[in-house]
Amino acid sequence: MKRASILLVTALALAAGTAAFTQSFSVQLGNPRGPAQPVKFPHDIHAGKLGMDCLYCHYGAEKSAIANLPPVSTCMGCHKIAVTDRPEVQKLAGYYERGEPIPWVEVYRLPDHVKFNHKRHVRAGLTCQTCHGPVQAMNVVVQYPSLKMGWCVSCHRERMNDPGFPASTDCLICHH
Amino acid sequence: MSEFTFKRRDFLKLVGIGVAGTTTGCASRPAEKLIPYLVAPNDLLPGVPYWYASTCRECSAGCGILVKTREGRAIKVEGNPAHPVNRGGLCGLGHAALQGLYHPDRLKSPMLKVNGQWKAIGWDEAIRTAADRLATAKSGKRGVAVVTGNATGSFEKLAREWAAAAGGTHLVYEAFGHEAVREANRRTFGQAVVPTFDFARAQMVVSFGADFLETFGSPVAQARGFAAMRAQPQAGWFVTVEPRLSPTGARADEWVAVRPGGELALALGMAHVIAKEGLGRGAAGVDLSAWMPEAVEERTDVPAKTIERLARAFASRRPSLAIAGGVAAQSAQAVALAAAVNLLNHMAGNLGETVRLDQALNFDAVAPFRDVQGLIEKMKQGEVDVLVVHGADPAYSIPAWAGFGAALDQVLFKISLSSVMDDTAERCDLVLPETHALESLGDAEPMRGVWSLVQPTMQRVPMFDARPAGDTLIALAKAAGFGAFPDTWDAYLRNEWKARHARFGAGRTFEAFWEDALKQGGVWEEAPAGKPGAAWSGTHAFASPELQGVGEVAVVLFPSHLHDGRGANKPWLQELPDRTTTAVWGSWVEIHPDTAAKIGVAQGDPVRVETAAGSVVAPAYLYQGIRRDTVAIPLGQGHAAYGRYAQGRGVNALALLPPAQDEASGALAYLSARARLSKAAGESALPLAQPNMHQADRGIAQGIAVASLIAMEYTGGKAGRVLEPARGEGERAGSAHPAPLPPGATPEEAAHTPAGLGKEGPRGVNEPVLLETPPSQRRPGLYTEPRQLKPGEVIPPHAITAYEPEEKVRSPRQIPVHEGSYSNPNHHHRWAMAIDINSCNGCQACVVACYAENNIPVVGPEMTKRGRQMAWLRIERYEELLGGGPNDVRFVPMMCQQCTDAPCEIVCPVYATYHNPEGLNAQVYNRCVGTRYCSNNCPYKVRQFNWFDYAAPEKETFAFPEPLNWQLNPDVTVRSKGVMEKCTFCVQRILDGKGNARDENRPLRDGEIQTACAQSCPTEAIVFGDLLDPESKVSKLSHDQRRYWVFNELNTKPGITYLKKLERESELA
Repeated sequence: MKRASILLVTALALAAGTAAFTQSFSVQLGNPRGPAQPVKFPHDIHAGKLGMDCLYCHYGAEKSAIANLPPVSTCMGCHKIAVTDRPEVQKLAGYYERGEPIPWVEVYRLPDHVKFNHKRHVRAGLTCQTCHGPVQAMNVVVQYPSLKMGWCVSCHRERMNDPGFPASTDCLICHH
Repeated sequence: MSEFTFKRRDFLKLVGIGVAGTTTGCASRPAEKLIPYLVAPNDLLPGVPYWYASTCRECSAGCGILVKTREGRAIKVEGNPAHPVNRGGLCGLGHAALQGLYHPDRLKSPMLKVNGQWKAIGWDEAIRTAADRLATAKSGKRGVAVVTGNATGSFEKLAREWAAAAGGTHLVYEAFGHEAVREANRRTFGQAVVPTFDFARAQMVVSFGADFLETFGSPVAQARGFAAMRAQPQAGWFVTVEPRLSPTGARADEWVAVRPGGELALALGMAHVIAKEGLGRGAAGVDLSAWMPEAVEERTDVPAKTIERLARAFASRRPSLAIAGGVAAQSAQAVALAAAVNLLNHMAGNLGETVRLDQALNFDAVAPFRDVQGLIEKMKQGEVDVLVVHGADPAYSIPAWAGFGAALDQVLFKISLSSVMDDTAERCDLVLPETHALESLGDAEPMRGVWSLVQPTMQRVPMFDARPAGDTLIALAKAAGFGAFPDTWDAYLRNEWKARHARFGAGRTFEAFWEDALKQGGVWEEAPAGKPGAAWSGTHAFASPELQGVGEVAVVLFPSHLHDGRGANKPWLQELPDRTTTAVWGSWVEIHPDTAAKIGVAQGDPVRVETAAGSVVAPAYLYQGIRRDTVAIPLGQGHAAYGRYAQGRGVNALALLPPAQDEASGALAYLSARARLSKAAGESALPLAQPNMHQADRGIAQGIAVASLIAMEYTGGKAGRVLEPARGEGERAGSAHPAPLPPGATPEEAAHTPAGLGKEGPRGVNEPVLLETPPSQRRPGLYTEPRQLKPGEVIPPHAITAYEPEEKVRSPRQIPVHEGSYSNPNHHHRWAMAIDINSCNGCQACVVACYAENNIPVVGPEMTKRGRQMAWLRIERYEELLGGGPNDVRFVPMMCQQCTDAPCEIVCPVYATYHNPEGLNAQVYNRCVGTRYCSNNCPYKVRQFNWFDYAAPEKETFAFPEPLNWQLNPDVTVRSKGVMEKCTFCVQRILDGKGNARDENRPLRDGEIQTACAQSCPTEAIVFGDLLDPESKVSKLSHDQRRYWVFNELNTKPGITYLKKLERESELA
C-alpha cells in the first residue's frame, strides 16, 4: 500500500514537473509588451515620420545572416547635430562620449537550435514588415510574430512553389 | 530489516521535487543584452566570415593557410590552394593551431619566478628585470645565448642580430633538424640542403626509414606528390625498408623488414648489384666490393635475392627515388645511410629528376645537435649568464644524457618567450609570453624561392597579455641599451621586405606590394623549369651502426602526430587516434605478439623497457608490423609541464637513449639502444579507438589488382580521364586473382623472407607468416558484382544487389526519394562523395578539420575506451597483409554514408532523422529524444551519442574551457546531452555555397562547395559534389571502374562511393 502511494506521489510529481516544463516552451517565447530600453528609441519617428530606410541602420540585413544593431557612431552621425536638446538624445551622446556601447535589451527571441538568415529573406524580396510588423508605427518595438515553428512554416509552405524564390520546408534549412 | 517504509520526510521530498519542477519550468529566461559596436570596424559585418591568408607556423614546412574569422575570431584554418608549398591541403597539426591560439593554459601575463614560485608581473617590470640582467651580462665576461626554433625569415635574422648585439651567440634548435641529410648532401653533392622530391614522376620509391608522410621534410607537399604517383596503375611501386612498419610504410606495396640499423647495408647492397650488373651509372669511385648481397644478407636478414630484385627494379624503373633521413632510422651512422641513398639516386640518375636539390627546404640555419651540446657545455662551465629561448622546448626534446636540464641550473637568468608554460619555460626565471602566430605579423621562408607572410587574423585574445616575440626582443635591446633596431617588429619586418619589393613589386609602391603580398599569403618565384642535376663531388666512409647496451630488442623511437611533442597540449591531437595503433591520450610500446608472449604480456599490459640509460613503463600494443627483435615507442608525450592536456601524460621515451650521436653530422642518434623487456606491475590500460584491424569478410576496404584493371582497360583515376564504366566486365575478368607476391618475386623467394617475423628457422628468422589472404582479394568483386543464381538459391529480400545488375538497383539512388511532402521541383542536387582509398594515407587531417568545423567535443581516454569518441569522421585501418614482404594496409575514411535508404531513418520514433530532398540524411538535434535506435540500426556505426553534457561549463565533462569555446563555429549547433549527432556533409557549408550562387544569380559550380574533410585532404582523396550534375567530378569518380560501396549488400544505397585500392602485386615481374 505504502509502495503504491509512493509510486502515485512520484508519478504525480513527475507529471506536474513535465507539464510545467513543456508549458515553459510555449508561454515564454516573445514578450508582448516590449521591454524598456536604456535609450527610448522611437522607431515610429525614425522609420515612420522621417521615413528612414530600415537598412540605413540595420545594414547587415541584406548582406549577412545577422541584421546588425547599428553601432553608436551611426546614431551620432545625425545626432551630433540633430535635436541635441532632447534628454534621450543626450543619454545617447553620453554613452558615446563615455565610449560605452548601449546595452539594448533583446526584443526578438529566436528559440534555441534554430538558424535564421536575414540575408536570404531580404533578398527573396520580403519586406522587413512581413516578419517584424509595422515597426514604423511602433513607439516601443514588440516581438510581433510568435516566432514559433508553425509561424515560420506556414509562410514557407505558401511560398514553396514560388517561381523566383521557392521556400524550402526541409528541416535542415533551419536546424543544423 | 529491509522492509520498505515511506516516511513523512520522503513524501515531502517528493512533493518538493514536483514543486521545484513546476517553478523552474515557469521561470523565464532572463532578457539578453544586445551589445552593438561603438564604432563599427571597417568592412566587418557580424555574421559574415572573413578569410585571411597566412602561413602555418606549427612546423618547419611552412604551409600556406587561409584563416576563417567570424565576428573577429579565428574559427577555422584551411590550406591555401594558391600556396606553392601545400596547394590547399593541411595536416592535423596545422588545423590544431587554433587550439594553441585559444589554449586555456596560455599565460595571461609575464611571469617571474620568485623563490621558486611563479608570480604574475606587468610588462614594464618584466622588461626592466630582463634588461638589467642583459646589460650586466653584456658588460661582464659571461655571455648571452639565444636559442630559437626554425623560424626562418625575418625573425631568424632579428634573433641573430639581436644575439650579436647583446654580445652573445644565436643557435637555431630543431629537434628534427635533418642534419644527416644536409651533411650527406654536402659531402656527396656539395650542397648542404634538404631536397624536395618529385614523387609524381617516380616510377618506384624506396624509403629507407624516411617517414615522408609524417614528419620528414614537407609532409603535406610530399603526401600530395605521393598520391599523384600512386594514382598511376602502371607506376608508383613503393617499397619501405624499416624494422617497424610506420604509417608511411603502411602505404607500401612491399615491406622489407630490415634489421634495425641495417638500412645502410641494404642500400649499399643494392648499389653493389647495380654497379656489378652495369644497370646504371658507375659507383662514382665508391668501393662497393664488400657489400655483396650475400654479405648484406648476413647484416640485414634480407635475402640476397630480394636485394638483387630490388636493385634491378630500382635501376630499371626510371626515374626512381630513394629517400632516407627519418627520425626513427637516425642512428650513429645517419650520414652514411643518407650518403648511401644518395649514391643509389646518383647511380639511377635520379638527381634533377625526382630529387631536387635546387628547390630545397629551408633547414639552412638549423644547428646540428653537436652545436647544442657545445652550448650545453658552455652553460655548464658557467659561461652563459642569460639564456633566451623562443619557439623550442629543449628541456623536453633533448634526451637526459646531454645534460641540458643540469646545465640550465648553471645559467644565472633564463628567459622564455613561450606563450605557454612548456617544460623549458617551467625551468626558466622569466617568461615573456609571445602572441600566437594567428594573431601576429611575421614571415617565413619555408623553401627556396618562397617568401610566405604571417599576418594577424584577429585582435589579440584579450585575456592573454602577450606581445610578439620580435617586439619583446627589440624592447629588451632598447632597455638594455644595445643594438640599433627599428622601434617595432612591424617596422623591422617591412624593412626586410623592401628587398622583396625590389624584386617582386615592379611598378607598385611598397604599400601596394605589401597589401598584395598579404592578400596572397606571400610572394614566390615560379618553379624553375630546368632540371639541374648534381654532380657526385665526394664520397663517404661507410660503416654499419652498432646499437648500445644489452638486451633482446632494439628500441625504435618514432615521431607521432604530436611531432616532437609540440602538439601534445592540443586536445584535438591527443584525442586523434594514432595511425598505427589507434591509441589516444598516451604512450605505448609496439611489440611483436611473439615477443610479448615470451614475457607474458597481453594487449594493453604495462611493459618495462629498460636500456643502459633508463627505463620507461607503458602499455603494450601487440603489432604484427614490427620485427620480433624490435620494440617501438612514440615520441611526443611525457611532458613535465605544458598545460593540462600534456602534463604527465604518457612517457618521454627519450629517457631510453644512451649517449650516442652521428659523428659525421653531429646529429642525435635516436636509433641507438638495445633494451630488456619485462612485464611491469599495474593494470592493463590502453585506450584504442579501433581495437580490431581485420575486415572479417566485410569488404569495407577493397582492393583491385592492377592486372584486373588493365584487363578492363582502366582509364579512370586521378591522373586520367574518366570514361563510362565497363559495367563490371573487367572485374569479373580479374577474378583469377593471383596470390600476392613482391615485385618480380618468385614463390620460392617469397617463402624465404627472413624478416625476423616468420616462424623461427635455422637462423632464427625464416619462413614468412603471411596473414590469411583477405577474402576481398580472394574473391574480388564479391561485394559489388551481381552474380548468377545458383540452382535452387533463393534471393534474400535484403540483398538484391548481389544478384541484380547494379544499374537496375542503383539508378534510383540518384533521384531524391521521398516524393510527396518533398515534391518541390526546386531541389536540384544529390550531395555525394567519392573517396579514393588508393589515395588515403590515413593522415587524419580530415578528422581534425571535422572537429574544428563541426564543434565536436573531445571526450578523453576513458570514454574512448568505452567507444564513446564523438568524431563524426574516423579513419579505419585494415591490415590485410602484414608481416614482411608484400604489404597491404588500407585506410578508409568512414563517416555517415548519407544512405538513400537509410536504416537509421525508419527506426526514429520522433522523426529526428529523416531524408532530405537533396539526399542528405539529416539529424535534427532539437527533435532528438535520445532513444539511440538509429545508432543501433546503423550498419556503419557512424552516429555518436552525447552521453554527457560536453557543452555545459559547470560539468566535469566540459570540452571547451574558456577560451577554447571561442573557436566554436557559430553556424553549427553545439549539441547537448542525450542527443544523437553525426556527419551532416557540412550542411552549413552547402547552405552557404547555395546562398552565394543565388546572390550571384548563377548555378552552383562544381567544387565550389567543399566539406571540411574534402577541403583539408592533402591528397584529394575525398571529393564532394552533386551527383545529379553529370559533369561534376564526383559523378565521374562515382562511375570509375574502381568504385564500390561499403555494405552494398545491405541495399542502403550510400551517397559515398569508395574507389578501390590498387594492388600492385605483379607489377615488376
